[in-house]
Amino acid sequence: MSLGVKNVEIEPAIRDLRNRTLARLPGDVSRLVYLASSRDLNTGRYSHDGLAFHFSENVACKAMAACHAEIFNRLVYCSLEELIEELRSYISSTAERPGDVLESWKHLGSYRVTIPSECDEMAAEIFLSNVKVALAILQTRQESAFQDGQFAWRYRSHGR
Amino acid sequence: MSQLLPYLGVSLLLLVVSALWARQLFLTRKTRIELIVPQKREPTSGSTASHGDLGERIFDLVDWDFVSRNVPSEIQQMFLRERTILAISWLRRTRTRVSLLMRAHVAAVGQIADLHLATELKLALNYLVVLTLCNLLIAWIWARGPMRTRKMVGQTLRTVAWLRGAFEQLMARVSAET
Repeated sequence: MSLGVKNVEIEPAIRDLRNRTLARLPGDVSRLVYLASSRDLNTGRYSHDGLAFHFSENVACKAMAACHAEIFNRLVYCSLEELIEELRSYISSTAERPGDVLESWKHLGSYRVTIPSECDEMAAEIFLSNVKVALAILQTRQESAFQDGQFAWRYRSHGR
Repeated sequence: MSQLLPYLGVSLLLLVVSALWARQLFLTRKTRIELIVPQKREPTSGSTASHGDLGERIFDLVDWDFVSRNVPSEIQQMFLRERTILAISWLRRTRTRVSLLMRAHVAAVGQIADLHLATELKLALNYLVVLTLCNLLIAWIWARGPMRTRKMVGQTLRTVAWLRGAFEQLMARVSAET
């Protein structure tokens, strides 16, 4: 899990963030969503009270930006199959119905705000495109699972 | 006879340029510059392409293998459409970047005292090859889709890597001389 960031100042903050916060989240999509939601959309600055208390606000912000970029890169370069698994894992970790989350992500394009501020334009394009396809695949699977379930239920009802 | 003079002039010029190139090749054989071609990085576990190679990521066949086996045809079509858009966007970006590099090189080349004609010609030739490959690929991808163009993309990536190495070396020489 190398970052490539040689900044001595933020390394301990990055380690802290990884071990205490990010490690507890189920998968990279969850981590990406968490980090993106910790960012102020108006200023682009991240906030984390615990990390800012131990280090400083500036260091915490930089550490979060570095982790955000790292996780985003991993998701850009992972295969579509792995991305689908990551998304599935994230969706099942939420308390919402999978169909609703998929619908919301697809129609509102909620995943667009998960892109780090400083990232390659092409990498962002690849990520958005892959998520779009992954969501379509998950939705198809979900629909067919629902139909199978309904069929099985009807079959059982008629059988009785 | 006077009508033939321009042709003779052009032929003579080409002959001189070829002779100079051959001489340069002969002279530089001993002190030959090895062009720096970036080493291929090992892909990290679980990833389909090495980090930093967005072109490889786009044209990687792993995703297509997965999609062609596991998802319905309408999603396969959607995947191909998405990859076509990405591939063309990447090729346009590569073309623009290479052109910008070449412009920067042309601007800086005047500062090099010991200009290697052979290297310059090779560079110019490779630049034209990259531009041609990018344009051909864009047309080909529009017509056939991105998954059947992997070989040509490989060639483009290799030529771009060579050009990048050559530009880096020339720029290092420019900064060393200034």
